[in-house]
Amino acid sequence: MAVKMRLKRMGQKKAPFYRIVVADSRSPRDGRFIEEVGYYDPTTEPSVIKFNEENAKKWLATGAQPTEVVSKLLKIAGIQ
Amino acid sequence: MYEKIYHEPGVSGNLIIFKGCKEKILDTLKKVLYDITGDDMEKIARQGLLYDFYGALLTEHQRNIYEDVVLYDLSLSEIAQEHGISRQGVHDLVKRCDKILEGYEEKLHLVEKFEKTKGLAREIRNLTAQFAETKDMSLIHRIEEISGEIIELEAH
Repeated sequence: MAVKMRLKRMGQKKAPFYRIVVADSRSPRDGRFIEEVGYYDPTTEPSVIKFNEENAKKWLATGAQPTEVVSKLLKIAGIQ
Repeated sequence: MYEKIYHEPGVSGNLIIFKGCKEKILDTLKKVLYDITGDDMEKIARQGLLYDFYGALLTEHQRNIYEDVVLYDLSLSEIAQEHGISRQGVHDLVKRCDKILEGYEEKLHLVEKFEKTKGLAREIRNLTAQFAETKDMSLIHRIEEISGEIIELEAH
C-alpha cells in the first residue's frame, strides 16, 4: 500500500490553514487520513510550519512519500 | 540577445530565456527557479487564496481539477488518473487556471486589498493592546490614521 504525506487544506474561505497528513494514496479525496504529522499556517508573517518530528521521521522511514510541497516544508523544518 | 523573460505567477524570480532554448531544458530551469526562490510552498497558499476569491468564475471542470491541486495537494499524475486525462492535459489546465485567476487579480486586486486590510487591522489590534498598557495618547492618533488608510483602500 502506497502511503503519501501531503497537505490537506483546512480553515475557512480566505483563511487557509493546512494539516500535513499521512494518507493512503488510493483515497486522496475522501478526507480520511492515517495520522496528522504537522501543520502549515501561511496566514501569519512569517508562515508557521510545525512538525511532530518523531512521527514524521517514523513515517518517512517506513516509506511514506511526501509531495513536492511537503518535501519543501520538511527541508525548511530541517527534518529532511 | 534574449527572446523573452519568463515570469511564473506567484514566484518572485524571473527566467531570461535565450533563443533556441529547448522545452525540456526550460522545464528543468523552471524547477530550479522554484528551488532557488523557495516559493513553491507559498505558491499553494497563493493559489488557494486566489481560488477562494475567484474560483466561482472557473468552469466546473476547471474547479474540480484546481481543487485537487490546492485543497488536496494531489500530484499531476494522480489527478490525471482520477479524471482520465493525460498528465500534460492536467498540467496545461492548472497553468491556464493560474493565469485566469491571476488575470482577475490583476484587474480587481481583491486578494491584495484583503491582505493589506488584514495587515492594518492587525496593526490596530497591536496598538490597542499597547494603549491598554501605556495609555499613550499618540497611539490613538496612529489608530485613527490606520482606519483612514483602510477606508482609503476600500475606496479604490
